[in-house]
Amino acid sequence: MSKSFFVDTTLCTACRACQVACKQWHDLPAEETKNRGTYENPADLSFDTYKLVRMREEVIGGKLKWLFFPEQCRHCVEAPCLDTAGDASAIYKDAATGAIIFTANTKGMNVDEIIESCPYNIPRKGPDGTLAKCDMCLDRVQNGLLPACVKTCPTGAMNFGERADIVALAKSRLFAVKKANPKAALLDTDDVNVIYLVAEKPSLYHKFAVASNAAFDITRQVALRRMFTPLTNIVSRLL
Amino acid sequence: MKVTRREFIQITGATAAGLAVSGLGFDLAPVKSHAQMLKTKYAKETTTICCYCAVGCGAIVHTSKRGDGRVINIEGDPDHVINRGSLCSKGASLKQLTENENRLTEPMYRAPYSKEWKSVSWEWALTKIAKRVKETRDATFKYKNVIGQVVNRTEGIASVGSAAMDNEECWIYQALMRALGLVYVEHQARI
Repeated sequence: MSKSFFVDTTLCTACRACQVACKQWHDLPAEETKNRGTYENPADLSFDTYKLVRMREEVIGGKLKWLFFPEQCRHCVEAPCLDTAGDASAIYKDAATGAIIFTANTKGMNVDEIIESCPYNIPRKGPDGTLAKCDMCLDRVQNGLLPACVKTCPTGAMNFGERADIVALAKSRLFAVKKANPKAALLDTDDVNVIYLVAEKPSLYHKFAVASNAAFDITRQVALRRMFTPLTNIVSRLL
Repeated sequence: MKVTRREFIQITGATAAGLAVSGLGFDLAPVKSHAQMLKTKYAKETTTICCYCAVGCGAIVHTSKRGDGRVINIEGDPDHVINRGSLCSKGASLKQLTENENRLTEPMYRAPYSKEWKSVSWEWALTKIAKRVKETRDATFKYKNVIGQVVNRTEGIASVGSAAMDNEECWIYQALMRALGLVYVEHQARI
């Protein structure tokens, strides 16, 4: 049984405590930022930023709505990055939690292809070619603690627990939120372990809020690549 | 790339093994998968109250038990009645109050019309402040207002701090400001 997050964006106030707590726990350095006319900062996820609260201003039904989306790795049930890497020493799935973990061995791999394979555009390349992203705070979870982002959330937008409990919670919250927001929906529930509840059209929140429909279907190309990845990895290392 | 016969066999062998493993649906889990150790495992835990706003959230400070006693981690206290373990973005960054290379550790002084800040001693800074306060207060102190009521105040000094003080510090600070006769006592978070 894997672990899952439930992110209720209708409760999110974009305080960014999750973003700060993530940096704090992982001892990640600050980034130089500039005023881009939005509180969304830094501008994108990076090798040093695993979690980022996206903020969008949209006029919906004649009213200004400020949409918040705390973005992070979805820890896919069938992770395309893991398949693309094809090397369990670089990208593996933790059996007990379902966390998709990137190791230092991603260095020197087909990193651009791995980034390309992510339906949510999450992994980021470091200066030395290593990949980094959210690790579900696996060290905390394995020791009975909540991930840093969930622990710190003051509004209850971030939730974490056993997948069955989290899916049930997500469905009950969807039922409640739908009364006031008929467009409310859960995003890619069956495919991911980070389930978002949004009140408006997902694409308004973030370009990569939902995966494109094709992302999880194994195309012939992906199937072939999966077969040959062990070979290409060996060859790329020999080169 | 030159591939020797031996390397070629290695490559093809590994490919065949890879095909066999992925094709038969074997678990490609890591060879070594053991629980990671928490960075706070051997740390000393101390409870504290967040220094920022008036909500007064509780936090746990993890400090190193070895040598320097520096802060390893600060996070919300799950047993605290106010916040039950949560912290906002300011609270979540509490560690940086001490573990931050940009933190000032000594008083800085910028002389009038100067573009430069320079480090000064605490003694020099406090004496300078005391002298300026005395000078300004003496020059601007009013015993009575325009309609002759006794006011005993100075309108030449204003206070704009501080969000980083606790309840008791605020009391002492307020008492000092009122004793000096200040009427412009503000808080920087409201400006």
